Amino acid sequence: MGNKLGRRRQVVDEKYTKPQGLYHHKDVDIKRLRKLILESKLAPCYPGDEDSTCDLEECPICFLFYPSLNRSRCCTKGICTECFLQMKVPNSTRPTPCPFCKTSNYAVEYRGVKTKEEKGIEQIEEQRVIEAKIRMRQKELQDEEERMQKRQDLSSSSRTMGEVDHGSIGVLSSRSPVDEEEIVSADQSCSTSMTRQPPHLRTNRDDEFDLDLEDIMVMEAIWLSIQNQENGKHKGLAQSEAAPSEQYVSEDHYVSQATAPLAGSASSPSGGLACAIAALAERQQTSGESSFNHNTTMSTYNVLPNCGQFYPNAVQASDSYAAPEGGTELAHGGGIPMARDDGEWNMDRGSEVAEAGTSYASSDSPEDAGGISALPQSNEVDAGFQNLPAPIVPESFEEQMMLAMAVSLAEARAVASGPGVTWQ
Amino acid sequence: MTSSSATSRKALSKIASNRLQKELVEWQVNPPVGFKHKVTDNLQRWVIEVNGAPGTLYANETYQLQVDFPEHYPMEAPQVIFLPPAPLHPHIYSNGHICLDILYDSWSPAMTVSSVCISILSMLSSSTVKQRPEDNDRYVKNCRNGRSPKETRWWFHDDKV
Repeated sequence: MGNKLGRRRQVVDEKYTKPQGLYHHKDVDIKRLRKLILESKLAPCYPGDEDSTCDLEECPICFLFYPSLNRSRCCTKGICTECFLQMKVPNSTRPTPCPFCKTSNYAVEYRGVKTKEEKGIEQIEEQRVIEAKIRMRQKELQDEEERMQKRQDLSSSSRTMGEVDHGSIGVLSSRSPVDEEEIVSADQSCSTSMTRQPPHLRTNRDDEFDLDLEDIMVMEAIWLSIQNQENGKHKGLAQSEAAPSEQYVSEDHYVSQATAPLAGSASSPSGGLACAIAALAERQQTSGESSFNHNTTMSTYNVLPNCGQFYPNAVQASDSYAAPEGGTELAHGGGIPMARDDGEWNMDRGSEVAEAGTSYASSDSPEDAGGISALPQSNEVDAGFQNLPAPIVPESFEEQMMLAMAVSLAEARAVASGPGVTWQ
Repeated sequence: MTSSSATSRKALSKIASNRLQKELVEWQVNPPVGFKHKVTDNLQRWVIEVNGAPGTLYANETYQLQVDFPEHYPMEAPQVIFLPPAPLHPHIYSNGHICLDILYDSWSPAMTVSSVCISILSMLSSSTVKQRPEDNDRYVKNCRNGRSPKETRWWFHDDKV
Protein backbone atom coordinates (compact mmCIF):
# COMPACT_ATOMS: atom_id res chain seq x y z
CA MET A 1 0.00 0.00 0.00
CA GLY A 2 2.50 2.57 1.07
CA ASN A 3 5.10 1.78 -1.55
CA LYS A 4 6.80 4.34 -3.67
CA LEU A 5 5.59 2.78 -6.89
CA GLY A 6 2.14 4.06 -6.20
CA ARG A 7 3.25 7.63 -6.28
CA ARG A 8 3.45 9.07 -9.72
CA ARG A 9 5.22 12.32 -10.10
CA GLN A 10 3.13 14.70 -12.01
CA VAL A 11 3.91 18.07 -13.39
CA VAL A 12 1.98 20.54 -11.32
CA ASP A 13 0.81 23.80 -12.74
CA GLU A 14 2.44 26.67 -10.89
CA LYS A 15 -0.90 28.16 -9.88
CA TYR A 16 -1.81 25.05 -7.90
CA THR A 17 1.26 25.30 -5.73
CA LYS A 18 -0.28 27.92 -3.49
CA PRO A 19 -3.52 28.06 -1.53
CA GLN A 20 -6.61 28.93 -3.55
CA GLY A 21 -8.07 31.03 -0.77
CA LEU A 22 -10.33 28.46 0.84
CA TYR A 23 -9.17 29.76 4.22
CA HIS A 24 -7.37 32.80 5.45
CA HIS A 25 -4.12 31.06 6.02
CA LYS A 26 -1.88 32.45 8.64
CA ASP A 27 1.65 31.30 9.20
CA VAL A 28 1.87 29.33 6.00
CA ASP A 29 5.34 29.05 4.56
CA ILE A 30 4.40 29.58 0.91
CA LYS A 31 7.81 28.64 -0.36
CA ARG A 32 7.93 25.44 1.53
CA LEU A 33 4.42 24.56 0.49
CA ARG A 34 5.32 25.10 -3.16
CA LYS A 35 8.34 22.86 -2.77
CA LEU A 36 6.34 20.11 -1.13
CA ILE A 37 3.71 20.21 -3.82
CA LEU A 38 6.27 20.20 -6.62
CA GLU A 39 7.96 17.22 -5.00
CA SER A 40 4.61 15.45 -4.83
CA LYS A 41 4.74 15.31 -1.06
CA LEU A 42 1.49 17.20 -0.77
CA ALA A 43 -1.49 17.23 -3.07
CA PRO A 44 -1.67 20.24 -5.40
CA CYS A 45 -4.01 23.01 -4.28
CA TYR A 46 -6.62 22.43 -6.93
CA PRO A 47 -9.72 24.49 -6.48
CA GLY A 48 -12.32 22.25 -4.88
CA ASP A 49 -15.43 21.38 -6.83
CA GLU A 50 -18.85 21.83 -5.28
CA ASP A 51 -20.24 18.70 -6.84
CA SER A 52 -19.04 15.22 -7.32
CA THR A 53 -18.13 14.02 -10.74
CA CYS A 54 -17.06 10.48 -11.24
CA ASP A 55 -13.34 10.67 -10.59
CA LEU A 56 -13.18 13.20 -7.76
CA GLU A 57 -12.60 12.57 -4.07
CA GLU A 58 -14.38 14.50 -1.35
CA CYS A 59 -12.31 16.12 1.36
CA PRO A 60 -14.04 15.13 4.62
CA ILE A 61 -13.30 18.52 6.16
CA CYS A 62 -14.40 21.08 3.61
CA PHE A 63 -16.71 18.69 1.72
CA LEU A 64 -15.31 19.86 -1.61
CA PHE A 65 -14.22 17.52 -4.37
CA TYR A 66 -10.65 17.16 -5.60
CA PRO A 67 -8.81 15.05 -8.17
CA SER A 68 -6.58 13.73 -5.37
CA LEU A 69 -6.10 14.09 -1.64
CA ASN A 70 -3.34 13.66 0.90
CA ARG A 71 -3.60 10.62 3.19
CA SER A 72 -2.99 10.58 6.90
CA ARG A 73 -0.18 8.19 7.80
CA CYS A 74 -2.09 6.80 10.76
CA CYS A 75 -5.45 5.98 9.20
CA THR A 76 -5.08 6.83 5.47
CA LYS A 77 -8.03 9.21 5.57
CA GLY A 78 -7.98 11.81 2.85
CA ILE A 79 -7.63 15.55 3.32
CA CYS A 80 -7.08 18.39 0.88
CA THR A 81 -3.91 20.42 1.23
CA GLU A 82 -5.67 23.60 2.30
CA CYS A 83 -7.60 21.87 5.07
CA PHE A 84 -4.42 20.13 6.12
CA LEU A 85 -2.71 23.50 6.52
CA GLN A 86 -5.51 24.53 8.88
CA MET A 87 -5.04 21.53 11.10
CA LYS A 88 -1.83 22.65 12.64
CA VAL A 89 -2.63 24.69 15.70
CA PRO A 90 -0.33 27.70 15.58
CA ASN A 91 1.85 28.36 18.63
CA SER A 92 0.98 25.05 20.13
CA THR A 93 3.66 22.92 21.69
CA ARG A 94 1.51 19.87 21.65
CA PRO A 95 1.66 17.68 18.54
CA THR A 96 -1.46 17.95 16.45
CA PRO A 97 -3.73 14.91 16.76
CA CYS A 98 -5.14 13.32 13.64
CA PRO A 99 -8.61 14.81 13.12
CA PHE A 100 -9.91 11.41 12.11
CA CYS A 101 -8.44 8.89 14.50
CA LYS A 102 -6.88 11.14 17.16
CA THR A 103 -3.45 9.57 16.82
CA SER A 104 -0.98 12.18 17.99
CA ASN A 105 1.54 13.67 15.59
CA TYR A 106 -0.73 13.95 12.62
CA ALA A 107 1.15 13.63 9.35
CA VAL A 108 0.08 13.09 5.77
CA GLU A 109 1.61 11.71 2.63
CA TYR A 110 0.62 12.09 -0.97
CA ARG A 111 0.29 9.13 -3.25
CA GLY A 112 -1.18 10.84 -6.25
CA VAL A 113 -4.47 10.05 -7.80
CA LYS A 114 -5.99 6.87 -6.52
CA THR A 115 -5.37 3.84 -8.63
CA LYS A 116 -8.21 1.73 -9.89
CA GLU A 117 -7.32 -0.98 -7.38
CA GLU A 118 -7.42 1.46 -4.49
CA LYS A 119 -10.79 2.71 -5.61
CA GLY A 120 -12.03 -0.83 -5.93
CA ILE A 121 -10.88 -1.71 -2.44
CA GLU A 122 -12.53 1.39 -1.09
CA GLN A 123 -15.77 0.57 -2.81
CA ILE A 124 -15.73 -2.89 -1.32
CA GLU A 125 -15.10 -1.44 2.11
CA GLU A 126 -17.91 1.03 1.72
CA GLN A 127 -20.16 -1.78 0.66
CA ARG A 128 -19.20 -3.70 3.79
CA VAL A 129 -19.89 -0.72 6.00
CA ILE A 130 -23.31 -0.31 4.46
CA GLU A 131 -24.06 -3.99 4.91
CA ALA A 132 -22.90 -3.85 8.53
CA LYS A 133 -25.13 -0.86 9.13
CA ILE A 134 -28.09 -2.71 7.72
CA ARG A 135 -27.33 -5.70 9.91
CA MET A 136 -27.04 -3.45 12.94
CA ARG A 137 -30.36 -1.86 12.21
CA GLN A 138 -32.02 -5.22 11.77
CA LYS A 139 -30.51 -6.40 15.03
CA GLU A 140 -31.76 -3.30 16.79
CA LEU A 141 -35.26 -3.85 15.52
CA GLN A 142 -35.15 -7.49 16.48
CA ASP A 143 -33.85 -6.71 19.96
CA GLU A 144 -36.51 -4.13 20.43
CA GLU A 145 -39.15 -6.62 19.41
CA GLU A 146 -37.80 -9.17 21.83
CA ARG A 147 -37.66 -6.64 24.60
CA MET A 148 -41.29 -5.80 24.06
CA GLN A 149 -42.12 -9.46 23.97
CA LYS A 150 -40.34 -10.04 27.26
CA ARG A 151 -42.14 -7.17 28.91
CA GLN A 152 -45.44 -8.57 27.77
CA ASP A 153 -44.54 -12.01 29.01
CA LEU A 154 -43.55 -10.65 32.36
CA SER A 155 -46.51 -8.41 32.88
CA SER A 156 -49.32 -10.47 31.43
CA SER A 157 -49.01 -13.78 33.23
CA SER A 158 -46.71 -16.60 33.99
CA ARG A 159 -48.71 -19.03 31.92
CA THR A 160 -45.97 -19.69 29.42
CA MET A 161 -43.38 -19.92 32.08
CA GLY A 162 -45.53 -22.36 33.96
CA GLU A 163 -45.70 -24.63 30.99
CA VAL A 164 -42.00 -24.64 30.40
CA ASP A 165 -41.56 -25.11 34.07
CA HIS A 166 -43.74 -28.13 34.13
CA GLY A 167 -41.94 -29.67 31.23
CA SER A 168 -38.54 -29.26 32.72
CA ILE A 169 -39.66 -30.64 36.00
CA GLY A 170 -40.92 -33.63 34.16
CA VAL A 171 -37.42 -34.15 32.83
CA LEU A 172 -35.93 -33.73 36.24
CA SER A 173 -38.41 -35.99 37.93
CA SER A 174 -37.57 -38.90 35.75
CA ARG A 175 -34.08 -38.76 37.16
CA SER A 176 -34.47 -37.49 40.65
CA PRO A 177 -36.76 -38.53 43.42
CA VAL A 178 -39.47 -35.97 42.85
CA ASP A 179 -42.98 -37.25 42.71
CA GLU A 180 -46.01 -36.06 40.83
CA GLU A 181 -47.50 -34.21 43.75
CA GLU A 182 -44.55 -31.93 43.87
CA ILE A 183 -44.81 -31.15 40.22
CA VAL A 184 -48.33 -30.01 40.67
CA SER A 185 -47.49 -27.85 43.59
CA ALA A 186 -44.61 -26.41 41.69
CA ASP A 187 -46.89 -25.36 38.94
CA GLN A 188 -49.30 -23.76 41.32
CA SER A 189 -46.75 -21.83 43.23
CA CYS A 190 -45.24 -20.59 40.04
CA SER A 191 -46.83 -17.20 39.96
CA THR A 192 -45.84 -16.38 43.50
CA SER A 193 -42.26 -17.25 42.94
CA MET A 194 -42.37 -15.19 39.77
CA THR A 195 -43.06 -12.05 41.68
CA ARG A 196 -40.67 -12.81 44.43
CA GLN A 197 -37.72 -14.19 42.63
CA PRO A 198 -36.39 -12.25 39.71
CA PRO A 199 -35.70 -8.64 40.62
CA HIS A 200 -32.12 -9.06 39.51
CA LEU A 201 -33.17 -10.79 36.41
CA ARG A 202 -35.45 -8.01 35.52
CA THR A 203 -32.78 -5.37 35.65
CA ASN A 204 -30.54 -7.59 33.64
CA ARG A 205 -33.12 -7.94 30.98
CA ASP A 206 -32.78 -4.36 30.02
CA ASP A 207 -29.07 -4.63 29.64
CA GLU A 208 -27.60 -4.96 26.25
CA PHE A 209 -26.56 -8.56 26.46
CA ASP A 210 -28.04 -10.39 23.59
CA LEU A 211 -29.83 -13.23 25.18
CA ASP A 212 -32.17 -15.41 23.36
CA LEU A 213 -35.62 -15.03 24.78
CA GLU A 214 -35.92 -18.75 24.76
CA ASP A 215 -32.72 -19.16 26.73
CA ILE A 216 -33.92 -16.76 29.37
CA MET A 217 -37.21 -18.52 29.67
CA VAL A 218 -35.64 -21.92 29.96
CA MET A 219 -33.14 -20.68 32.50
CA GLU A 220 -35.81 -19.04 34.52
CA ALA A 221 -38.06 -22.04 34.33
CA ILE A 222 -35.40 -24.38 35.56
CA TRP A 223 -34.44 -22.04 38.30
CA LEU A 224 -38.03 -21.87 39.34
CA SER A 225 -38.37 -25.59 39.18
CA ILE A 226 -35.50 -26.01 41.58
CA GLN A 227 -36.91 -23.44 43.90
CA ASN A 228 -40.27 -25.05 43.75
CA GLN A 229 -38.82 -28.45 44.25
CA GLU A 230 -37.34 -27.23 47.45
CA ASN A 231 -40.47 -25.48 48.51
CA GLY A 232 -42.42 -28.56 47.67
CA LYS A 233 -40.23 -30.78 49.76
CA HIS A 234 -40.48 -28.66 52.82
CA LYS A 235 -43.89 -27.20 52.82
CA GLY A 236 -44.81 -24.24 54.97
CA LEU A 237 -41.39 -23.70 56.23
CA ALA A 238 -40.04 -21.29 58.66
CA GLN A 239 -36.86 -20.03 57.19
CA SER A 240 -33.99 -20.96 59.37
CA GLU A 241 -30.69 -20.35 57.79
CA ALA A 242 -28.23 -21.75 60.21
CA ALA A 243 -28.85 -25.37 59.41
CA PRO A 244 -28.53 -25.24 55.66
CA SER A 245 -25.47 -23.05 55.70
CA GLU A 246 -23.82 -25.41 58.10
CA GLN A 247 -24.63 -28.16 55.72
CA TYR A 248 -23.05 -26.19 52.94
CA VAL A 249 -19.90 -25.65 54.83
CA SER A 250 -19.45 -29.30 55.36
CA GLU A 251 -20.19 -30.00 51.75
CA ASP A 252 -17.60 -27.55 50.75
CA HIS A 253 -15.20 -29.27 52.99
CA TYR A 254 -15.77 -32.64 51.44
CA VAL A 255 -15.39 -31.42 47.96
CA SER A 256 -12.29 -29.47 48.70
CA GLN A 257 -10.73 -32.52 50.16
CA ALA A 258 -11.42 -34.30 47.00
CA THR A 259 -9.53 -31.70 45.05
CA ALA A 260 -6.60 -31.50 47.35
CA PRO A 261 -4.42 -34.30 46.07
CA LEU A 262 -4.73 -33.16 42.48
CA ALA A 263 -4.98 -29.44 42.42
CA GLY A 264 -2.57 -29.02 45.27
CA SER A 265 -4.64 -26.51 47.17
CA ALA A 266 -7.60 -27.29 49.32
CA SER A 267 -8.19 -23.72 50.29
CA SER A 268 -10.14 -22.58 47.26
CA PRO A 269 -13.81 -23.40 47.30
CA SER A 270 -14.12 -22.60 43.63
CA GLY A 271 -11.51 -25.13 42.75
CA GLY A 272 -13.32 -27.74 44.74
CA LEU A 273 -16.62 -26.90 43.17
CA ALA A 274 -15.24 -26.79 39.69
CA CYS A 275 -13.54 -30.09 40.29
CA ALA A 276 -16.65 -31.72 41.57
CA ILE A 277 -18.70 -30.40 38.71
CA ALA A 278 -16.10 -31.34 36.16
CA ALA A 279 -15.88 -34.82 37.58
CA LEU A 280 -19.60 -35.08 37.57
CA ALA A 281 -19.90 -33.84 34.03
CA GLU A 282 -17.20 -36.23 32.99
CA ARG A 283 -18.98 -39.11 34.54
CA GLN A 284 -22.14 -38.12 32.78
CA GLN A 285 -20.35 -37.97 29.50
CA THR A 286 -18.78 -41.35 29.90
CA SER A 287 -22.12 -42.83 30.73
CA GLY A 288 -23.35 -41.38 27.46
CA GLU A 289 -26.17 -39.33 28.86
CA SER A 290 -26.11 -36.31 26.65
CA SER A 291 -29.49 -34.95 27.57
CA PHE A 292 -28.55 -35.39 31.14
CA ASN A 293 -25.43 -33.40 30.69
CA HIS A 294 -27.54 -30.66 29.25
CA ASN A 295 -29.68 -30.69 32.32
CA THR A 296 -26.79 -30.20 34.63
CA THR A 297 -25.52 -27.33 32.67
CA MET A 298 -28.85 -25.69 32.79
CA SER A 299 -29.20 -26.00 36.51
CA THR A 300 -25.91 -24.28 36.87
CA TYR A 301 -26.95 -21.33 34.77
CA ASN A 302 -30.08 -20.64 36.56
CA VAL A 303 -28.11 -20.20 39.68
CA LEU A 304 -26.17 -17.43 38.10
CA PRO A 305 -28.85 -14.92 37.17
CA ASN A 306 -29.59 -14.14 40.76
CA CYS A 307 -26.11 -12.86 41.08
CA GLY A 308 -26.48 -9.71 39.04
CA GLN A 309 -23.06 -8.75 37.88
CA PHE A 310 -22.00 -12.18 36.86
CA TYR A 311 -24.71 -12.51 34.37
CA PRO A 312 -22.43 -12.10 31.39
CA ASN A 313 -20.60 -15.18 32.48
CA ALA A 314 -23.80 -17.05 32.54
CA VAL A 315 -24.44 -15.90 29.03
CA GLN A 316 -21.12 -17.15 27.84
CA ALA A 317 -21.69 -20.40 29.56
CA SER A 318 -25.03 -20.80 27.92
CA ASP A 319 -23.39 -20.42 24.55
CA SER A 320 -21.14 -23.28 25.27
CA TYR A 321 -23.54 -25.88 26.45
CA ALA A 322 -24.11 -27.18 23.00
CA ALA A 323 -20.43 -27.84 22.59
CA PRO A 324 -19.24 -31.40 22.89
CA GLU A 325 -17.05 -30.60 25.89
CA GLY A 326 -20.01 -29.23 27.75
CA GLY A 327 -18.65 -30.63 30.95
CA THR A 328 -15.37 -28.83 30.73
CA GLU A 329 -17.02 -25.61 29.80
CA LEU A 330 -19.20 -25.95 32.77
CA ALA A 331 -16.23 -26.02 35.04
CA HIS A 332 -15.09 -22.72 33.60
CA GLY A 333 -18.45 -21.10 33.85
CA GLY A 334 -18.73 -22.15 37.44
CA GLY A 335 -15.23 -21.21 38.39
CA ILE A 336 -14.86 -17.76 37.00
CA PRO A 337 -17.46 -15.81 38.92
CA MET A 338 -16.11 -16.87 42.27
CA ALA A 339 -12.71 -15.31 41.90
CA ARG A 340 -13.32 -12.88 39.21
CA ASP A 341 -10.31 -10.65 39.58
CA ASP A 342 -8.21 -13.67 39.02
CA GLY A 343 -9.65 -14.75 35.74
CA GLU A 344 -6.66 -16.31 34.11
CA TRP A 345 -5.64 -18.31 37.07
CA ASN A 346 -9.11 -19.55 37.31
CA MET A 347 -9.27 -20.56 33.72
CA ASP A 348 -6.12 -22.57 34.05
CA ARG A 349 -7.40 -24.05 37.15
CA GLY A 350 -10.62 -24.85 35.47
CA SER A 351 -8.99 -26.90 32.76
CA GLU A 352 -6.67 -28.56 35.21
CA VAL A 353 -9.66 -29.51 37.18
CA ALA A 354 -11.42 -30.79 34.12
CA GLU A 355 -8.47 -33.02 33.42
CA ALA A 356 -8.62 -34.21 36.94
CA GLY A 357 -12.19 -35.09 36.30
CA THR A 358 -11.16 -37.12 33.31
CA SER A 359 -8.73 -39.06 35.32
CA TYR A 360 -11.40 -39.95 37.81
CA ALA A 361 -13.69 -41.16 35.18
CA SER A 362 -11.18 -43.27 33.36
CA SER A 363 -9.64 -44.87 36.38
CA ASP A 364 -11.05 -48.32 36.61
CA SER A 365 -8.80 -49.89 39.14
CA PRO A 366 -10.11 -50.03 42.68
CA GLU A 367 -6.83 -48.93 44.26
CA ASP A 368 -6.91 -45.70 42.33
CA ALA A 369 -10.44 -45.03 43.29
CA GLY A 370 -9.60 -45.61 46.89
CA GLY A 371 -6.72 -43.19 46.80
CA ILE A 372 -8.47 -40.29 45.19
CA SER A 373 -12.01 -41.17 46.06
CA ALA A 374 -13.73 -38.07 44.84
CA LEU A 375 -16.96 -39.66 43.98
CA PRO A 376 -17.81 -41.53 47.13
CA GLN A 377 -17.42 -38.26 48.89
CA SER A 378 -19.61 -36.58 46.36
CA ASN A 379 -22.18 -39.11 47.20
CA GLU A 380 -21.90 -38.23 50.81
CA VAL A 381 -22.56 -34.70 49.85
CA ASP A 382 -25.50 -35.90 47.91
CA ALA A 383 -26.85 -37.79 50.84
CA GLY A 384 -26.45 -34.81 53.06
CA PHE A 385 -28.41 -32.75 50.68
CA GLN A 386 -31.28 -35.10 50.41
CA ASN A 387 -31.68 -35.56 54.11
CA LEU A 388 -31.70 -31.87 54.79
CA PRO A 389 -34.00 -31.17 57.66
CA ALA A 390 -34.44 -27.48 56.90
CA PRO A 391 -35.53 -25.62 53.79
CA ILE A 392 -32.99 -24.49 51.29
CA VAL A 393 -33.30 -20.86 50.53
CA PRO A 394 -30.14 -20.08 48.67
CA GLU A 395 -28.99 -16.61 49.52
CA SER A 396 -25.50 -16.15 48.28
CA PHE A 397 -24.08 -17.11 44.96
CA GLU A 398 -21.99 -19.75 46.61
CA GLU A 399 -24.97 -21.33 48.20
CA GLN A 400 -26.79 -21.34 44.94
CA MET A 401 -23.81 -22.93 43.33
CA MET A 402 -23.87 -25.57 46.00
CA LEU A 403 -27.50 -26.16 45.48
CA ALA A 404 -27.09 -26.53 41.77
CA MET A 405 -24.30 -28.94 42.29
CA ALA A 406 -26.25 -30.89 44.83
CA VAL A 407 -29.17 -31.14 42.49
CA SER A 408 -27.03 -32.38 39.68
CA LEU A 409 -25.40 -34.83 42.01
CA ALA A 410 -28.79 -36.08 42.97
CA GLU A 411 -29.58 -36.52 39.32
CA ALA A 412 -26.32 -38.21 38.68
CA ARG A 413 -26.95 -40.60 41.47
CA ALA A 414 -30.40 -41.39 40.26
CA VAL A 415 -29.03 -42.57 36.96
CA ALA A 416 -25.78 -43.77 38.31
CA SER A 417 -25.05 -47.11 36.79
CA GLY A 418 -21.96 -48.63 35.28
CA PRO A 419 -18.85 -46.68 36.20
CA GLY A 420 -20.40 -44.92 39.15
CA VAL A 421 -21.12 -48.16 40.85
CA THR A 422 -17.66 -49.58 40.53
CA TRP A 423 -16.21 -46.55 42.22
CA GLN A 424 -18.24 -47.11 45.25
CA MET B 1 -8.84 27.10 18.11
CA THR B 2 -9.83 29.63 20.71
CA SER B 3 -13.32 30.95 20.57
CA SER B 4 -15.53 33.56 22.09
CA SER B 5 -19.17 34.41 21.85
CA ALA B 6 -18.19 37.36 19.69
CA THR B 7 -16.86 35.16 16.90
CA SER B 8 -19.84 32.86 16.99
CA ARG B 9 -22.08 35.83 16.19
CA LYS B 10 -20.17 36.60 13.02
CA ALA B 11 -21.59 35.37 9.76
CA LEU B 12 -20.45 32.04 8.47
CA SER B 13 -17.39 32.00 6.26
CA LYS B 14 -17.86 30.78 2.74
CA ILE B 15 -16.36 27.43 3.54
CA ALA B 16 -18.49 27.06 6.68
CA SER B 17 -21.64 27.92 4.85
CA ASN B 18 -20.82 25.55 2.03
CA ARG B 19 -20.10 22.71 4.39
CA LEU B 20 -23.23 23.31 6.45
CA GLN B 21 -25.40 23.29 3.37
CA LYS B 22 -23.97 19.93 2.44
CA GLU B 23 -24.38 18.61 5.95
CA LEU B 24 -28.01 19.67 5.88
CA VAL B 25 -28.61 17.93 2.56
CA GLU B 26 -26.94 14.79 3.89
CA TRP B 27 -29.04 15.03 7.05
CA GLN B 28 -32.22 15.24 5.04
CA VAL B 29 -31.26 12.20 3.00
CA ASN B 30 -29.98 10.21 5.95
CA PRO B 31 -30.94 11.67 9.34
CA PRO B 32 -29.39 10.12 12.44
CA VAL B 33 -31.87 7.81 14.18
CA GLY B 34 -33.76 9.59 16.96
CA PHE B 35 -33.20 13.15 15.70
CA LYS B 36 -35.27 15.63 13.78
CA HIS B 37 -33.99 18.88 12.37
CA LYS B 38 -36.51 21.68 12.75
CA VAL B 39 -36.63 23.50 9.50
CA THR B 40 -35.66 27.17 9.56
CA ASP B 41 -33.98 29.43 7.10
CA ASN B 42 -31.13 30.04 9.51
CA LEU B 43 -28.21 27.90 8.50
CA GLN B 44 -26.14 29.20 11.40
CA ARG B 45 -28.49 27.98 14.12
CA TRP B 46 -29.99 24.54 14.00
CA VAL B 47 -32.64 23.38 16.42
CA ILE B 48 -32.78 19.61 16.62
CA GLU B 49 -35.29 17.40 18.36
CA VAL B 50 -33.80 14.49 20.29
CA ASN B 51 -35.83 11.43 21.20
CA GLY B 52 -34.54 9.40 24.13
CA ALA B 53 -33.50 5.95 22.95
CA PRO B 54 -35.89 3.11 23.77
CA GLY B 55 -34.81 1.02 26.71
CA THR B 56 -32.92 3.90 28.35
CA LEU B 57 -33.83 6.29 31.15
CA TYR B 58 -34.88 8.85 28.56
CA ALA B 59 -37.15 6.63 26.48
CA ASN B 60 -40.26 8.41 25.25
CA GLU B 61 -38.82 11.82 26.21
CA THR B 62 -38.10 14.55 23.71
CA TYR B 63 -35.58 17.36 24.12
CA GLN B 64 -34.30 20.12 21.93
CA LEU B 65 -30.72 20.83 21.03
CA GLN B 66 -29.63 24.22 19.79
CA VAL B 67 -26.54 24.19 17.62
CA ASP B 68 -24.83 27.50 16.80
CA PHE B 69 -22.07 27.54 14.24
CA PRO B 70 -19.09 29.88 14.48
CA GLU B 71 -17.70 31.78 11.52
CA HIS B 72 -14.87 29.30 11.14
CA TYR B 73 -16.83 26.11 11.43
CA PRO B 74 -15.68 23.32 11.13
CA MET B 75 -12.25 24.47 12.24
CA GLU B 76 -14.01 25.69 15.37
CA ALA B 77 -16.52 23.61 17.28
CA PRO B 78 -20.21 24.50 17.15
CA GLN B 79 -21.85 25.60 20.37
CA VAL B 80 -24.31 22.91 21.41
CA ILE B 81 -26.77 23.33 24.28
CA PHE B 82 -30.09 21.86 25.34
CA LEU B 83 -33.00 24.26 25.21
CA PRO B 84 -35.02 24.23 28.44
CA PRO B 85 -36.02 21.92 29.91
CA ALA B 86 -32.67 20.17 29.68
CA PRO B 87 -32.66 16.44 30.43
CA LEU B 88 -31.69 15.40 33.93
CA HIS B 89 -28.24 13.95 33.46
CA PRO B 90 -25.01 13.97 35.51
CA HIS B 91 -23.25 15.87 32.72
CA ILE B 92 -25.98 18.26 31.68
CA TYR B 93 -26.46 21.49 33.63
CA SER B 94 -29.88 22.96 34.21
CA ASN B 95 -29.03 25.85 31.87
CA GLY B 96 -28.59 23.34 29.07
CA HIS B 97 -24.81 23.34 28.99
CA ILE B 98 -23.34 19.92 28.20
CA CYS B 99 -20.10 18.64 29.64
CA LEU B 100 -18.88 16.59 26.68
CA ASP B 101 -15.28 16.76 25.51
CA ILE B 102 -15.94 16.60 21.78
CA LEU B 103 -17.85 19.88 22.01
CA TYR B 104 -14.77 21.63 23.34
CA ASP B 105 -11.17 20.40 23.60
CA SER B 106 -11.67 17.25 21.62
CA TRP B 107 -13.59 18.76 18.75
CA SER B 108 -12.27 17.72 15.38
CA PRO B 109 -13.24 19.30 12.05
CA ALA B 110 -13.85 15.79 10.80
CA MET B 111 -16.92 15.64 13.05
CA THR B 112 -20.33 16.67 11.80
CA VAL B 113 -23.58 17.81 13.35
CA SER B 114 -24.82 14.30 12.83
CA SER B 115 -21.88 12.67 14.63
CA VAL B 116 -22.16 15.17 17.49
CA CYS B 117 -25.84 14.33 17.85
CA ILE B 118 -25.07 10.64 18.02
CA SER B 119 -22.46 11.27 20.72
CA ILE B 120 -24.97 13.23 22.77
CA LEU B 121 -27.60 10.54 22.44
CA SER B 122 -25.03 7.96 23.44
CA MET B 123 -24.17 10.04 26.49
CA LEU B 124 -27.83 10.17 27.44
CA SER B 125 -28.33 6.48 26.82
CA SER B 126 -25.48 5.35 29.03
CA SER B 127 -26.72 7.31 32.02
CA THR B 128 -27.79 5.26 35.01
CA VAL B 129 -29.24 8.06 37.10
CA LYS B 130 -31.34 11.07 36.34
CA GLN B 131 -29.62 13.79 38.25
CA ARG B 132 -27.87 17.12 37.77
CA PRO B 133 -24.11 17.49 38.02
CA GLU B 134 -22.91 18.02 41.58
CA ASP B 135 -21.77 21.58 40.92
CA ASN B 136 -24.89 22.52 38.98
CA ASP B 137 -26.00 25.47 41.09
CA ARG B 138 -22.58 27.04 41.31
CA TYR B 139 -21.93 26.64 37.60
CA VAL B 140 -25.31 27.91 36.48
CA LYS B 141 -24.92 30.97 38.73
CA ASN B 142 -21.57 31.71 37.11
CA CYS B 143 -23.13 31.57 33.67
CA ARG B 144 -25.95 34.00 34.40
CA ASN B 145 -24.58 36.66 32.10
CA GLY B 146 -25.26 34.41 29.14
CA ARG B 147 -21.80 32.99 28.90
CA SER B 148 -21.24 30.41 26.20
CA PRO B 149 -20.32 26.91 27.36
CA LYS B 150 -17.38 27.17 24.99
CA GLU B 151 -15.85 29.71 27.37
CA THR B 152 -16.05 27.31 30.25
CA ARG B 153 -12.90 25.53 31.21
CA TRP B 154 -14.29 22.05 31.22
CA TRP B 155 -12.88 19.34 33.32
CA PHE B 156 -13.65 15.98 31.80
CA HIS B 157 -13.35 13.52 34.58
CA ASP B 158 -15.89 10.83 33.98
CA ASP B 159 -15.64 8.69 30.91
CA LYS B 160 -18.24 6.18 32.04
CA VAL B 161 -21.40 8.09 31.29
